[in-house]
Amino acid sequence: MNTLLNVISDGFFGAIAAIGFGAISNPPLRAFKFIALLGAVGHACRFCLMTYLYIDIASASLISGLVIGFGSLILGKPIYCPTTVIFIPALLPMIPGKFAYNTIFSQIMFLQHMNQPDLKAKYMEMCFSNGIVTFTVIFLLAIGATLPMFIFHTRSHSLTRRSYKESLLQK
Amino acid sequence: MITNELLLEQVKFVAEYAAHLMGCGIHTSRVIRNTKRIGDTLNFDVNISVFQKSIILTMQKKETQHIFSEVVEIPALPINFEHNSELSALSWEAVDRHLTFEEIKEKYYKIIFASRMNSWTVVLLVGLANASFCRLFGGDWLSMLIVCIATFAGFFVKMQMQKRNVNHYIIFIVSAFVASLLSSTALLFNTTSEIALATSVLYLIPGVPLINGVIDIIEGHTLTGISRLTNAFLLIICIAIGLSFTLFLFTNRLL
Repeated sequence: MNTLLNVISDGFFGAIAAIGFGAISNPPLRAFKFIALLGAVGHACRFCLMTYLYIDIASASLISGLVIGFGSLILGKPIYCPTTVIFIPALLPMIPGKFAYNTIFSQIMFLQHMNQPDLKAKYMEMCFSNGIVTFTVIFLLAIGATLPMFIFHTRSHSLTRRSYKESLLQK
Repeated sequence: MITNELLLEQVKFVAEYAAHLMGCGIHTSRVIRNTKRIGDTLNFDVNISVFQKSIILTMQKKETQHIFSEVVEIPALPINFEHNSELSALSWEAVDRHLTFEEIKEKYYKIIFASRMNSWTVVLLVGLANASFCRLFGGDWLSMLIVCIATFAGFFVKMQMQKRNVNHYIIFIVSAFVASLLSSTALLFNTTSEIALATSVLYLIPGVPLINGVIDIIEGHTLTGISRLTNAFLLIICIAIGLSFTLFLFTNRLL
């Protein structure tokens, strides 16, 4: 019961984060419901994989990226939105921002402790590990979300084609 | 009768369309596809090379075989997903309904001059989003409230500075500083202040160029992809600088 509550609350806050960070980039109003849905599903999916199945953050991000990618391909058609319009806002809450600026912080600290070998080694290691996590997670999120786009490219390229039926009638 | 002026106007229009798409944060392969589609309805063969600051188009009129070349600068526009979907839809509509040049132009200007979402709504949504981020990282309700207020202030400062055309690196440093300064009030209370401080600047992380950059690299547009990632990385450094001011002032350590 507690598990279910955790997953639902994670999805709920993931959805609010997706809506808010998406709103900065002015998506069409009709896309918001699906952005929220995919943001919730994606974040809850990664949360479950990491907390209950003990999968590392990189693989968990890839899998939730795939879920979001397929979701955007299915949900883009009824509202005539390109997949990127739906999946980028949904991915935004999963971008490891904390790791990103911790990379810079450990770099600053490394430079300030050049004459203390143990601290220097520690900050060097932190800089690398944070940087690698940031880079890998962003890369795998984007790969996961775009993979469906490559597999079903004709569908994903014509999601905004409102007038497709008319063009068939004319022929 | 197609005059030379009209041809030139059409070429300029296609170039502007491409530059606008590129400027408002759309991945390169879609820009190329859409532009070729628009060019096709106007009876042009379009070839494009996209760089980080400019686009080079070579367009050949199909009937007369005239070749036009155009270099257009990419404007620095705010990211706009509505333009992404509406302008893509316009390119399909132009093909399927055989729109004339005048109709395409009219619809294009109608789309790009449509008003953005109310900025106060955006401030409110961003504040709530960052507060729920704080929650996802394990913050309690008081930290969420503090982060929410800090984000309101930081985002407000960012919008005001953007209106005054301040250099965007300075915008990011100052708004990261303002947001983290306000969220450092969490240190006064018995709450998860570390998490509040760390999440208060996350609303600034440039997620859209990061993801677009990776998409571009995967699709083979390595040049634009790397340039997007580089720009995003510079902004992340600015965020870290802004946050480090607060951390040095109040906690005297970064990590």
